[in-house]
Amino acid sequence: MKTKYLLPNVYKKIGWILIVPGMLMAVAMLIFQSSTELNGLSFNVFAIANSEFLEDATYFSIINDNIYDEICSLLLILGFLFVAFSKEKHEDELISKIRLEALVWATYINYGILLFAIIFVYGLPFFWVMIFNMFTILLFFLLKFNWEMYQAKKQISDEK
Amino acid sequence: MKNSIKVERAKKNITQAQLAELVHVSRQTINAIELGKYNLSTILALKIAHVFGQSIHHIFELEESDWNS
Repeated sequence: MKTKYLLPNVYKKIGWILIVPGMLMAVAMLIFQSSTELNGLSFNVFAIANSEFLEDATYFSIINDNIYDEICSLLLILGFLFVAFSKEKHEDELISKIRLEALVWATYINYGILLFAIIFVYGLPFFWVMIFNMFTILLFFLLKFNWEMYQAKKQISDEK
Repeated sequence: MKNSIKVERAKKNITQAQLAELVHVSRQTINAIELGKYNLSTILALKIAHVFGQSIHHIFELEESDWNS
């Protein structure tokens, strides 16, 4: 049984190359809060929709925006997707099963946290939970998948 | 499902790694099958039987509990 839609193994490396700067940028942004102070990355960008704080939304316009957080999000999401959904060196049916189960597990945990936050977290903190939720589903998947793979490999060393 | 892969490997004197290579799967997969932790696909079962030159029934055997799962 071969899993469809997986990327070639080389994307695992490309993914990590994207994740490392993405993580550094994200941590820097969280520490220094305002991304505008970190650099001069303000550009005119095309926005399908946009609204400034407490103003009405505008559609299909050119706006000036600091693209630090956009770059950061793209690096992290593409990086995580590449690492998560590239084939193992030796992708086979057992790995497909581990992959599927890890994905189900990660989806439950991610939405579990979201459900919890819907009930107990309000206002801006809830917005932050949603932001983290975008990335954590792939992060949880990676942790679970690699843990199960590690377990499967560890069992080999016990056997001979 | 019971299987006699370990016995057949011993008879043929091949390691898990060698069998894995012969049927194009990872070593973890052979190990998990031998330990009864993974129910393999029909195609892989046929390949393993082929490597050992046996019929599939000789290597894989249904257990009573399989009917309840």
